[in-house]
Amino acid sequence: MKILDVIHDANANLWRSKLRSFLTILAIFVGSFTIILNSAINAGVNDFMDKQIANMGGDGYLEMMPAETYDSLASMMGSNGPQEYTDDKDSANASTYLKEEQIEKAKKIDGVKVFNVLPNSSADYITSKKTDKRYRINLNLVVEGIKFDMSNGETPKFEKDAPYEIAVNEDLAKALGYENVADIVGETVQIAVPKNLACYTAIKRSECQEIIDVKVSGTQAPGILSMGGSRANLSLWNRINAINYEGMPAETNRSYQATADVDPEKIDDIKAELEKIGLKAMSVKDEAGMFQSFFDAILVVFNIFGGIALVAASIGIVNTLFMSVQERTREIGLDKALGMSNGKVFLSFSAEAIMLGFWGSAFGIIVSMVVGNIANKVAVETFLKDFPTFQLTIFEPWTMISIALTIMFIAFLAGTLPARRASKKNPIDALRYE
Amino acid sequence: MKNVLLSTRDLKKVYGKRDSKFEALKGIDLDIQKGESVAIIGKSGSGKSTLMHLLALLDKPSEGHITLNGKNTSNLKQRKLNRLRNKEFGFVFQSFFMNANDNVLNNVILPLKIAGVRRSERRRRAMEALKTVELDDKAKNKAKDLSGGQKQRVCIARALVNNPKVIFADEPTGNLDSATGAKIEELLFNLNREKGITLIIVTHDEELAEKCDRQIRIADGKIVTDGKGVAKHDPSFIEDENLDGMRDRNHTKEIDVEAE
Repeated sequence: MKILDVIHDANANLWRSKLRSFLTILAIFVGSFTIILNSAINAGVNDFMDKQIANMGGDGYLEMMPAETYDSLASMMGSNGPQEYTDDKDSANASTYLKEEQIEKAKKIDGVKVFNVLPNSSADYITSKKTDKRYRINLNLVVEGIKFDMSNGETPKFEKDAPYEIAVNEDLAKALGYENVADIVGETVQIAVPKNLACYTAIKRSECQEIIDVKVSGTQAPGILSMGGSRANLSLWNRINAINYEGMPAETNRSYQATADVDPEKIDDIKAELEKIGLKAMSVKDEAGMFQSFFDAILVVFNIFGGIALVAASIGIVNTLFMSVQERTREIGLDKALGMSNGKVFLSFSAEAIMLGFWGSAFGIIVSMVVGNIANKVAVETFLKDFPTFQLTIFEPWTMISIALTIMFIAFLAGTLPARRASKKNPIDALRYE
Repeated sequence: MKNVLLSTRDLKKVYGKRDSKFEALKGIDLDIQKGESVAIIGKSGSGKSTLMHLLALLDKPSEGHITLNGKNTSNLKQRKLNRLRNKEFGFVFQSFFMNANDNVLNNVILPLKIAGVRRSERRRRAMEALKTVELDDKAKNKAKDLSGGQKQRVCIARALVNNPKVIFADEPTGNLDSATGAKIEELLFNLNREKGITLIIVTHDEELAEKCDRQIRIADGKIVTDGKGVAKHDPSFIEDENLDGMRDRNHTKEIDVEAE
């Protein structure tokens, strides 16, 4: 008997008792639907997180600060519990700045590709000619060699002597009077930078501010990690720093944090090395970690539901096929009398089980894709409105195929019991069976 | 003798174990010639069906052996036995055994499908077989929509589709009225005469048995009589133990010598 005939007959046999087969397929469908939709949501979340990570500088991007600064920040946030005061840690203000030797050591760590020391730079507000309002601005530096995920325009040019450029968040672009956010690309905005020394004695803040014109090179989609942050290029950053420290002695320690682009493969080792020299490093993944682990936990729970549904469905397969074997006892007897081998009888019932699994997962794929796409549309208009790059469900062909194959294999395993019973039947007894 | 197709020596079949032990066949010696039509007659429980199952290689004897075409079958692997049944034998049963929901053509095709014959080839051969039983116009009909006689003709078509050497017919007319039964009988004997297919019919119908070349009467797991025309006698007379010695065993003895 040819394998194509076996498959064809298995399918034909399923439709002999339509309702029973349909109900069994329905049970498998529930399990496969749950698992396929889960994996699609998982893919959607991962894709979104990847984009977020790219927004923040990518897998190899590290932000560092002295461990002491981190500890005091952490205790301020209350996340480390009460911290004991010690004279040498807390009285020495200098320890919250990066030391030359730390920087030199950090640059030499294997896998560190680019190491930027960030001078302390801060700006008061940003505004544009299209609005009277002024908005607080939180500046970050772009990283050499990294292209950020921009929704419009480009990443600000990193080169030292490039014109002042900034990438702004889409929300900020709207606030600055650009209802169509793409229009802000190439426009000039104004940033107010305080002269820190002068501000100690100034009566009005505006007296100690210098306004600089900055070109907007691009916009970033709002996200959960980079909320509100704007990216300045190095020339702008240095200019702001120069204004901040105007009139202060040149040797004033101005560096309090650093960024690096490192080999993502070695990131954990590099973080450990940095810790040894007193630098606390945070990767984008660390920041994304909490969000992701929360999501992972939800998906695990749903996958367990899907798994339980599949176990129940497997019992359904066993039951359906046992009934089928019973009903077709005479037919099995005839097949065997006419020379069908035990193996082929086993195969034909196994094929039926596999077909049940096939149809269950095929419907699972189709329905979950329909539901997933509807959910995407609804999500974009409602709870994911603020995250236009977040696609709730992404259906990856290979994931779906491997889920379908796994379900068909489970169905095959469930089918082995009845198929074995069928193959063991004695043709004479089977023919005599009433 | 060169023309022996099937022969058995001291064939025994025991069912069950110990207390529930039942000896269905108590030593059968038999030779069936190529092209012969043989009736195996006996009351229910006589062992005639058991004998047919053993001859058709559907079951294994407890003792003794069966030779097919001069080859001992007791050492054959299951795979080989399946192949032999598929290629050399055809089966016709009293209660037809068809896939009622399938069409006539597919029912006839079954042995060829099991053998793994190509689609177009098996279709052609099945239509040919259906033509032989004059049912080629019903090929697309569902099997359950046929009359009893037509069903049995489909089963005969199925039995001969693989060009078998032997057709085993178990009460082929048992479920049919006498007119249709006669037609089925005619069909079977035609196949026997024209195609030289050996016919082994298990029956308790004396009239049908009489039409065969030879009648083997079984009682209590033993051959009571074996030969031409024995069936004419009153059945009760044949079952008389005294007649045991009167059996014509010359035929069997002759082959004994040849076989050894």
